[in-house]
Amino acid sequence: MFNYTFHWNQALKALPQMLDGALVTLQIALLSMLIGVICALALTGFRLSGNRVLNGFATTWVEIARNTPALFQIYMAHFGLGNFGIHLSPYTALLVGIAFNNAGYLAENFRGALKAIPDTQTRAGRSLGMTAVQAFRYIVLPQMLRIAFLPTTNQMVWAILMTSLGVTVGMNTDLAGVTQELNARSFRTFEFFALAAVIYYIIAKAVTLAARALASRMFRY
Amino acid sequence: MKTSVLAFGLVAATALTSPAHADKLDDIIGSGTLRCAVVLDFPPMGSRDENNNPIGFDVDYCNDLAKALGVTAEIVETPFPERIPALMSGRVDVGVASTSDTLERAKTVGMTVPYFAFEMAVTANDKTGIKSFEDMKGKVVGATAGTFEAIALEKQVKEWGAGEFRPYQTQADVFLALSQGQIDATVSTSTVAQANVKTGKFAGISVVGKAPFDTDYVALFTNREEYGLINYLNLFINQQVRTGRYAELYEKWVGGELPSLAVNGVYR
Repeated sequence: MFNYTFHWNQALKALPQMLDGALVTLQIALLSMLIGVICALALTGFRLSGNRVLNGFATTWVEIARNTPALFQIYMAHFGLGNFGIHLSPYTALLVGIAFNNAGYLAENFRGALKAIPDTQTRAGRSLGMTAVQAFRYIVLPQMLRIAFLPTTNQMVWAILMTSLGVTVGMNTDLAGVTQELNARSFRTFEFFALAAVIYYIIAKAVTLAARALASRMFRY
Repeated sequence: MKTSVLAFGLVAATALTSPAHADKLDDIIGSGTLRCAVVLDFPPMGSRDENNNPIGFDVDYCNDLAKALGVTAEIVETPFPERIPALMSGRVDVGVASTSDTLERAKTVGMTVPYFAFEMAVTANDKTGIKSFEDMKGKVVGATAGTFEAIALEKQVKEWGAGEFRPYQTQADVFLALSQGQIDATVSTSTVAQANVKTGKFAGISVVGKAPFDTDYVALFTNREEYGLINYLNLFINQQVRTGRYAELYEKWVGGELPSLAVNGVYR
């Protein structure tokens, strides 16, 4: 039995505050993706480089990022590093934690996408007189981007949702943080959380739809 | 005459046939179990001993209440932000969770009269040189999200217009951040501050003074419409003080001068 009367007007009054929080959420997610993609490209390069040290570094990163909870990664970025006297603000710790996680997953996406393109295509390109760089640039890369694009947008959605873990390291300006605070003040848990869920849903859905529209324009034959 | 007989008959019939409405107090007594929401990372009010058993002032208070009701107590651990969801989803009957009785919150849950009162203290990292409440101006400060002191401290930081406020999810995280130097100072209830500094788990921090916030009266809470239960709880709190049990528990868990639960110059 659910014995609760909803006070929606109180939640709606706080909507502007929550939307400000949503902007911070989106900002962190975008930045973390940007950093994540750059790191992931480097990691992919490391893993294909044949250098044992670089390969080991990249493999360790990917293994930790993919096989431990994001909560743990963010908590470590704040309290773990804090133990060694490195103090990241909640915002930075959250950004670093999510970017670390993104890079791990994206590196695997990129590697998988590269592997999906048969070697014979590169060889065919080379036999037409292309240099190795040209063959990569004109044959492999466009196909790789196409294959990796949609998994990358999935990671973006995941990054948006992961920002909500920032509350564990004292984040109070993103959507989850603002919601928690409003909740603590008034105890109107269900209104605020329901509203936050709707906002998260709208942002995530918008990202997915935008990516799909972009993909259908960019990747036409 | 005839009508009154008929009316009497009707009333008697309804009284006998329709099931009596059982309120929460009946439910608790009927089920034989009292489920209390208690915060267990908030020593000395609630924590766990070496064998992981819940202990603390709030735990004893819940046990006393169960004894008075003639039922067995069940301690349900709820971190601060989860107290209300636990109550609303019916996982607990009563909150014995050091909950400040703000008017804003009383719109959502039913509060009893105060059963405990906290003074606020400033705890600072020794390296920062903070020696008083005023010294915190412009510094990075933190507190446990959703508590009375967190709300008051955040307001204060906004008033100062300098520095930064960070809410952490648990009291333990606040003291961890403080001892690491992630935050420079915190305001917490003086009992909690003393208890945490005493554990020795957090190096390099000390209680440096009082915070000039109002006394934080905390109440038991349950569903807003459960007057029967709230009534019982109010009497229970009154009896705890009258019988000296409140003083006994205070001495056992906190020690020192017993805070008065009465507000001068006004009823309730």
